[in-house]
Amino acid sequence: MNKKTKRLLGRNEFYVAAIIIVLALIIQVISGQFIAINNLVDLARAIIVNAIYALCGLLAFVSTGADVSFPMIAGMTTYIIFKVAEVTALPAFVLVAMALAIGALCGCINGFFIVKYHFNSLIVTLSTSAICYGIAFGALKGVRIDVPDAFKAFSKWNLFTVRSGITGLGAKMHGAILIMILLYVLAYLVLRHTMVGRSIYAIGGDEISARRAGIQVDKVRFGVFVVNGMIAVIGGLCYACMCKNCSPMEYYGGENIVIAAIVLGGVRLTGGHGTLLGCLLGTFLLSMVSNSLTLIGVSVYWQNVFIGLIIVIGASISAIQAKRSLKASKELGKEAA
Amino acid sequence: MSEYILDCKGVCKSFGGVHALQNVDLRVKRGEVHCLAGENGCGKSTIIKAISGFQPQDSGTIEFDGKVYQSLSPSVSIDQGIQVIYQDMSVFPNLTVQENLAINTVISNKQKIYNHRQQREIAKKVMATLGLDLDLDDLVETLPVASKQLIAIARALYAKAKFLILDEPTTALTRKEVERLFEIIRDLKAKGLSILFVSHKLDEMYEISDSITIMRSGQTVYTGPMATLSEEDFTHYMTGRDFSDVDNKHAEERIQRDTQPAIELNNLSGSGFAGVSFKVQPGEIVGITGQLGSGRSELCNTLFGIEKATGGTITCSGKQVTISSVEDATRNGIALVPEDRLTEGLFLPVSIMENITVVNFDKFTKGLTLDSPAQIAESADWVKEIHVKTDDHLLPVQTLSGGNQQKVVLAKWLSTKPKILILNGPTVGVDIGAKYDIYALLRDLAKQGLAVLVASDDLTEVSRLCDRTVVMRGGIMTGEIADQELTVENLTKAIM
Ligand SMILES: Nc1ncnc2c1ncn2[C@@H]1O[C@H](COP(=O)(O)OP(=O)(O)OP(=O)(O)O)[C@@H](O)[C@H]1O
Ligand SMILES: [Mg+2]
Repeated sequence: MNKKTKRLLGRNEFYVAAIIIVLALIIQVISGQFIAINNLVDLARAIIVNAIYALCGLLAFVSTGADVSFPMIAGMTTYIIFKVAEVTALPAFVLVAMALAIGALCGCINGFFIVKYHFNSLIVTLSTSAICYGIAFGALKGVRIDVPDAFKAFSKWNLFTVRSGITGLGAKMHGAILIMILLYVLAYLVLRHTMVGRSIYAIGGDEISARRAGIQVDKVRFGVFVVNGMIAVIGGLCYACMCKNCSPMEYYGGENIVIAAIVLGGVRLTGGHGTLLGCLLGTFLLSMVSNSLTLIGVSVYWQNVFIGLIIVIGASISAIQAKRSLKASKELGKEAA
Repeated sequence: MSEYILDCKGVCKSFGGVHALQNVDLRVKRGEVHCLAGENGCGKSTIIKAISGFQPQDSGTIEFDGKVYQSLSPSVSIDQGIQVIYQDMSVFPNLTVQENLAINTVISNKQKIYNHRQQREIAKKVMATLGLDLDLDDLVETLPVASKQLIAIARALYAKAKFLILDEPTTALTRKEVERLFEIIRDLKAKGLSILFVSHKLDEMYEISDSITIMRSGQTVYTGPMATLSEEDFTHYMTGRDFSDVDNKHAEERIQRDTQPAIELNNLSGSGFAGVSFKVQPGEIVGITGQLGSGRSELCNTLFGIEKATGGTITCSGKQVTISSVEDATRNGIALVPEDRLTEGLFLPVSIMENITVVNFDKFTKGLTLDSPAQIAESADWVKEIHVKTDDHLLPVQTLSGGNQQKVVLAKWLSTKPKILILNGPTVGVDIGAKYDIYALLRDLAKQGLAVLVASDDLTEVSRLCDRTVVMRGGIMTGEIADQELTVENLTKAIM
């Protein structure tokens, strides 16, 4: 086998893509509706928010460790901003700036405790998440509220509508997908073509080596959590606007599926590994499974079983790959010896 | 301009209650190769980390190139022209070879934008400094230790430093690679660079160094020119002890000639070696020597069931056995101290005590609970017996210096009380004093009837420690050398 093929076979992204294709074919055969244009648009629309959250997960896991606070930061901030918009007549861009500031502040809190006191990021972000939850429900009585006027236009931003020739069912593509694409392009440029982006990977690979090389490890980590706070808020606003209302309860627990998706896409819990493509593919696969099982008529409860199975398979692939690369290194050692 | 490029005065550093450095003075002249020597855990790596700014000192000053620093940081130190090759290599396992080779240069250029074409160009130039031939797109985590070490060296050499620090840079390298490195060091010296070099290999020190500083227990005990320092003085300064009597092998009292061999190989073949036949009596210490690639490591692994034999037979105490797994080997009383201890032998974040006793867990379990006092007592004995330098054996292994970690692996396997003990490179990175301790310990164990097999390419070690040695070359056993014939000169000829 040549080296390039070997490397390709060593990647989670490859397997996830393969599973997506196989699954798509199966569902197409059973339901005959998968490749229908309206279904594809629905699917794309369904991944927008989770794919945005996946960026938070990617940045945190690659550089430091778990971040589970993004859904509640998103939920609380969106709720606060919608409330503010109800009672004031501020224009949308001011509201968005405020939202980003709140997200960044939450990120600062995460970053401060993780960097300054070396607390485990899971514990810190769990606490932040609990605080946000408390504020949203305790202090602000988090009930469902409609999209305020300032965001109505965005909420109704429809890029195009498609209609399936066979079933006659229609689907609309929301403009938020452009925001998602923009964020991914930005993330790609930063992660691949800036020193900060490469530092994120270097730190995740070996923190001590990174310090010794003169990388400002603490600054980078702090920055990652601040940025995560802001990305989370963007995801949260998009979600509420797409649903046309905001209920903080819907955000609660959103991190599970996101983390599952990115792990499936090859993000390693131990740090240093993970790609944007993997995040997108993982998110897509999970959305596709829940979306398509509905098409076949499988109940929601059984869908969870399927998702669980897929995660187990994904995690085993990662583990097998890691083992294989270790073995390869030993064999190489022998050759060199 | 002062004669010295580096002048550390009264440097102190403590970790909790451990005083790793106490008033250390270290001075390196411009354009010289200065050797830093001392037993495991005497503080060599710690002073280096203070100079590199990774772990600033508690008190004392470091003067570098005319400027006095109370404490340094990695980026300041790099900017001033200090490059360090760390003992643990400090590479990025998750990144590609080219990124590992180039990233330090890009960081020290203070570039904000990361250009992949530039990265590849830098990486190629870095490889050229050492004449390396690695696949630039491989992930470093898939590479063997030797390649990682070469990457660490090459990337520091390329950085065009004023002052180069090498902390045991040769542990994983072949003789040819070491020679190439030394050539480069001499070349750099001719260009006016100053070099601080740490090693446990005496011949290397004499070969490359102009002057030497010896440390003991966190203090400087000697500093002066290298050439006038005799080997006896050297060991004396280093350990505070003399070792004239350990060379006595007592072979005849030890070896039980009239019993069945503890292990006998007959025409054994496996991946990487073929046609190996020899036997080891209880009480005998037999070497397996040959250069890297001669098949000695593979032979060890096969005897321990890590790899499968493809032909020939193994007989243990008169009974022919098949060893196709580690369990088979253990059942037949075989233990192996592996070569790559850091990845195969230790759980770094776990305590010394648990690392030593983990292979004997059965022994310490009473019903469902662990008999901790017995476990602690056993571990304490071993720590004392082989002089592991630590305050408390309940601390994690990663707080130990490199050489002391290796002693822990030794203790762990010795504690299984095997009948046949195989050691692959038992004293790589271990200081002289500890080496003698280990030799004495092995002889002692042999006296009690243990058969010992030592795979090593350290010829001084083989000639001093072993009663007899098997010579391997290119995967074939080429003969045996014993008794009077067992000298470094003969061995050198035999393995080439
Ligand atoms: N982070 C740490 N925490 C606690 N103790 C430490 C730490 N780092 C070093 N030490 C202790 O400081 C002492 C000096 O260690 P150092 O690594 O400098 O030894 P060394 O001379 O480099 O030895 P070797 O030749 O084995 O590499 C040792 O006793 C070690 O246990
Ligand atoms: Mg050291």
